[in-house]
Amino acid sequence: MALDGKRNIKRPQRQPSERRFRLFETGKMDITFFTLVVVLLTIGLIMLFSASYVYAYSYYGNSYHFISRQAIFAVAGVGIMYFLSRVDYHIYRKAAWPLYVLSVILLIVVLILDPAVGDFHRWIVIGPINFQPSEIAKFAIVILFAHLISKNYDQMKRFTFGILFLGILLLIVCGLIVVETHLSATLLIGMMGVVLMIVGGIKLKYVGIAAIAGIGLGILAIVTGIVDYGSDRITYWLHPEEDPMGLGFQTLQSLYAIGSGGFWGRGLGNSIQKFLWVPEPQNDFIFAIVCEEVGFIGALVIIILFVLLVWRGFVIAMRAPDKFGTLIAVGLTFQVGLQAALNILVVTNTIPNTGISLPFFSYGGTALLMLLAEMGVVLSISRKCNLEKR
Amino acid sequence: MAKGPTREMWKRILAIMIAVCILAFGTIGVRLFGLMVVDAEEYQAKALSQQLKDITIEPKRGAIYDRNMNYLATSSTAWTIYISPNDIETEEERELVVNGLSEILGIDAETIREKTLKNNQYEIIKRQVEKPETDEVRAYISEHGLGSTIGISETTKRYYPNDNLASSVLGFVGTENQGLYGLESQYDSVLQGVSGRIIASKNAKGEDMPFTYQKIIEAEEGNSLVLTIDSTIQYYVENALSKAVIDNNVQERGCAIAMNVNTGEILAMATKPDFNPNEPFTIYDADDAAYIETLTGEEKTAAITEAQYKQWRNKAITEVYYPGSVFKIVTGSAAIEEGVVNANSTFDCSGSIQIADTIFRCHKRSGHGHQNLMEVFQNSCNPAFILMGQGLGAETFFKYFKAYGLTEKTGIDLPGEEMSIYYTAEQMGPVELASESFGQTINVTPIQLITAIAASVNGGYLVQPHVVKQIIDSDGNVVENIEPEVKRQVISEETSLYMRELLENVVTNGSGKNAYVAGYRVGGKTGTSQKQNLKNEDGSITKYISSFCGIAPADDPEIAIIVLLDEANVDNYYGSAIAAPVVGQILEEVLPYLEIEAVYTEEELAKMDIKVPDVQGESVEEAKSAISAAGLNATVIGDGDTVQRQVPSGQQSISDGGTVVLYTGDPLEKSMTTVPNLLNMTPAQVNSAAAAAKINVSFSGTGVSGSQLLSYQQSVAEGTQVEAGTTITVYFRHNDSSD
Repeated sequence: MALDGKRNIKRPQRQPSERRFRLFETGKMDITFFTLVVVLLTIGLIMLFSASYVYAYSYYGNSYHFISRQAIFAVAGVGIMYFLSRVDYHIYRKAAWPLYVLSVILLIVVLILDPAVGDFHRWIVIGPINFQPSEIAKFAIVILFAHLISKNYDQMKRFTFGILFLGILLLIVCGLIVVETHLSATLLIGMMGVVLMIVGGIKLKYVGIAAIAGIGLGILAIVTGIVDYGSDRITYWLHPEEDPMGLGFQTLQSLYAIGSGGFWGRGLGNSIQKFLWVPEPQNDFIFAIVCEEVGFIGALVIIILFVLLVWRGFVIAMRAPDKFGTLIAVGLTFQVGLQAALNILVVTNTIPNTGISLPFFSYGGTALLMLLAEMGVVLSISRKCNLEKR
Repeated sequence: MAKGPTREMWKRILAIMIAVCILAFGTIGVRLFGLMVVDAEEYQAKALSQQLKDITIEPKRGAIYDRNMNYLATSSTAWTIYISPNDIETEEERELVVNGLSEILGIDAETIREKTLKNNQYEIIKRQVEKPETDEVRAYISEHGLGSTIGISETTKRYYPNDNLASSVLGFVGTENQGLYGLESQYDSVLQGVSGRIIASKNAKGEDMPFTYQKIIEAEEGNSLVLTIDSTIQYYVENALSKAVIDNNVQERGCAIAMNVNTGEILAMATKPDFNPNEPFTIYDADDAAYIETLTGEEKTAAITEAQYKQWRNKAITEVYYPGSVFKIVTGSAAIEEGVVNANSTFDCSGSIQIADTIFRCHKRSGHGHQNLMEVFQNSCNPAFILMGQGLGAETFFKYFKAYGLTEKTGIDLPGEEMSIYYTAEQMGPVELASESFGQTINVTPIQLITAIAASVNGGYLVQPHVVKQIIDSDGNVVENIEPEVKRQVISEETSLYMRELLENVVTNGSGKNAYVAGYRVGGKTGTSQKQNLKNEDGSITKYISSFCGIAPADDPEIAIIVLLDEANVDNYYGSAIAAPVVGQILEEVLPYLEIEAVYTEEELAKMDIKVPDVQGESVEEAKSAISAAGLNATVIGDGDTVQRQVPSGQQSISDGGTVVLYTGDPLEKSMTTVPNLLNMTPAQVNSAAAAAKINVSFSGTGVSGSQLLSYQQSVAEGTQVEAGTTITVYFRHNDSSD
């Protein structure tokens, strides 16, 4: 009895994942990751208000136009994050294929619809809600790849599965997004897929070949002018001063803002470049205003927060109780880190302007909801690690 | 452990994490360091240059006061109307702007339309707009909601309250309040002050930022000038000069300077005709204006420019002329100082004198005969002065010429002073010396000559002529006092004293009679010079400059006045006939104004005008007896018992035998009369004409008896309707034609 009883108690503890499915987990979430998310979100909201109120006042007659909306989404997003952190992430296995199919359908739909914003087929508008299908596609690829790789880990060394099958799945999505002319999203999803494949165990020689091929194709595309819409971007990336009032305007103004910050910054709220100099300072170029106000030192702190977030996300991935969790955590964390890095590289004119927002900072309600939801998923994985350790 | 991540996955995750952190975030860190630390200043400068709106605040220009602190030039608030072409959004708005501003400001609609099409934020439509127009624009803006398109900014406008008074000395300013001529130009840096700035941040649309800072650096008001000029004297001078220029049909303008002989302070300086500095660009000469109207294109522009420069030029300092006989003061004083001549010297004038192979004629062809030195001055005898010059010799003559400051600019604090033209001692042969001795072949400016003459009578000291007495700041504190400056002593006190006697005699007994003022001791020298540079085709010269330089009081000179009429187109063009009376008229007003006590001779007292007794309110009988006791007649109008009103009123002076009209009883209709012609008459003729016309006269210029006195000016024109008994001043002069 006693022995049996012992066994009965110990077994589920040793192998919790083999226990019957429990939707709401009770392990402790990774408090460091959670704190980093909340700190970044808080700084992001403060900076969004500071960066946007002039623009909001000038164009909407209300300084709080952006911050009030963003704040509502942030509160809701934190709620969703907490809720999802308590949801057993294994449930997403069942959603992997449906989500992928839905993403592909939405990506096709968005191409058929009239462009909602600018000339780009990126947005779907349903009543008050507008969102980019590419945001859903990102999540779908992470879940599907994590699902497929963890289920077929032993198949990953095989070319047909590890490279060809997964590659085609990735290319379908990336191809559709390229047609949207959404270069940054393509880049983001593509790199994320590749990273999942690498972590999933594909032979590294394929990665080398793919990298060389990719660079070659990229050069070919630019030289032959296939990537036509990007060529102006390249010109004014290299020489923004050639058209200071036109295509180089945003870049130049961004650089003026960053440079104006200097080492210590002008002080919170004291940006001058946000007075309509930097176009739409609440969106992709918010980091320029951040730099102007909090200086090099403040910018460095924010970058370090992002680095810590990536580090913590990867730690969660490495501690995950199963490969599915590991891969989801890697994919989602990598995505946030890469997006932040690409955004800042664009804002500092280190790479051409691709139109990419800064996670936790840039204005955009559904994107923020999506981001926090994803962070919730990472946190739910952390709960499993902690449950495992206990 | 098959379920969890494998060791290989761990490795790969770690590798990717490190790659992301180092490659991506490392690059960012380096890049940000470059932008925000290494190149920060460059970007800050570029950012600032676009962010800051730097508005200049115009300083208030300092005022110009006369010596008694009356305003001669002041600055008042005015407005600049501008538009922001980039903010015009619709064609209707453009039409509103064009039509409204064109109508209110009186500017051609097309000119404004062109400005509305420009691509910028600031186009000035009109500067220095006065308050009523500005208010209209302001009302128009609010009526049509054009606040973002039309702008008004405050500035200052130069204002000359006395219009033409002293205009050629004061000069004028341009549309941006920059001094363009005269004192305004000479003392521009003193007057203009220091611009202030408003440094405000602006947003990308060029608007002021709604939540931000601005820094104001206040403008510093310019300093003010206190002149040596006395507006009252200036007015007397301009008034007399102006009439003389008109009466004598002067072709090339006239000028006058009144100077304190001891300090070099300029009390008045005028050129007539001149201009109104409030509207300096208007052409005031009717002939020039008519001529310009006949021209087009570049010719017209050139003619306008020429006419403008002509009216602006201060003739007293910017034009040289042949001083003629007035220059004999220089020659004479040098000869006396050097002992070449003395009070006992005698001269014989046959009407001409031969020097080398040139014959110089005296203006009196028959010759002046035997004369002493005093008579030589009195007669302005050319051969006598030629002999004095020969006696001095070229070197000594030139030494004095130079000592009197005639080889250099006087350095008066006015722009555009001209340089004299002369022969140096080395260049001077006997003929040149002879002609220079009586003021021909040399060219000097009026300011040079009056400064030299001042030296000859003030004890021999060449003083620095100047117009600015003091510079004060906007609170009235003295910034700088300009002290009188003696350059050198040219002749001795004794010689100078003797010069005063000689010059007084010229006025009392000689060619300067017309400058005499009853009760005062006046000295002076006449001059009539041929414009040798303007010979007719046959070689004759018919263009003359008539001048006179007077000093008063002759025993202790305070003031020197030079009057110069360039090309008087009248029969009697002699300085004695047309320039001396102007100085006389000026002195008659200036000497009492300077509170110099008049001492009348018995003869003068007899001829003096009689002060009308004030009988208003008295009974008719009392009034009549008071008036007749004063040596005047009374005419009673009405049948009342008391005098309600009298014409002329009490304290006015009228000539002996004049009539006072007394109005009695109820308010009565004025008894009117027509002013008769009173010109070219003797005093007796004027008196009878005046009596016949029931007007009173007051005589001017009758101080010295001698040759025939004829009236040449009357203060009220012939044909004017005036009340009976009105006093009209009649000016007389000796109509002799001496040089």
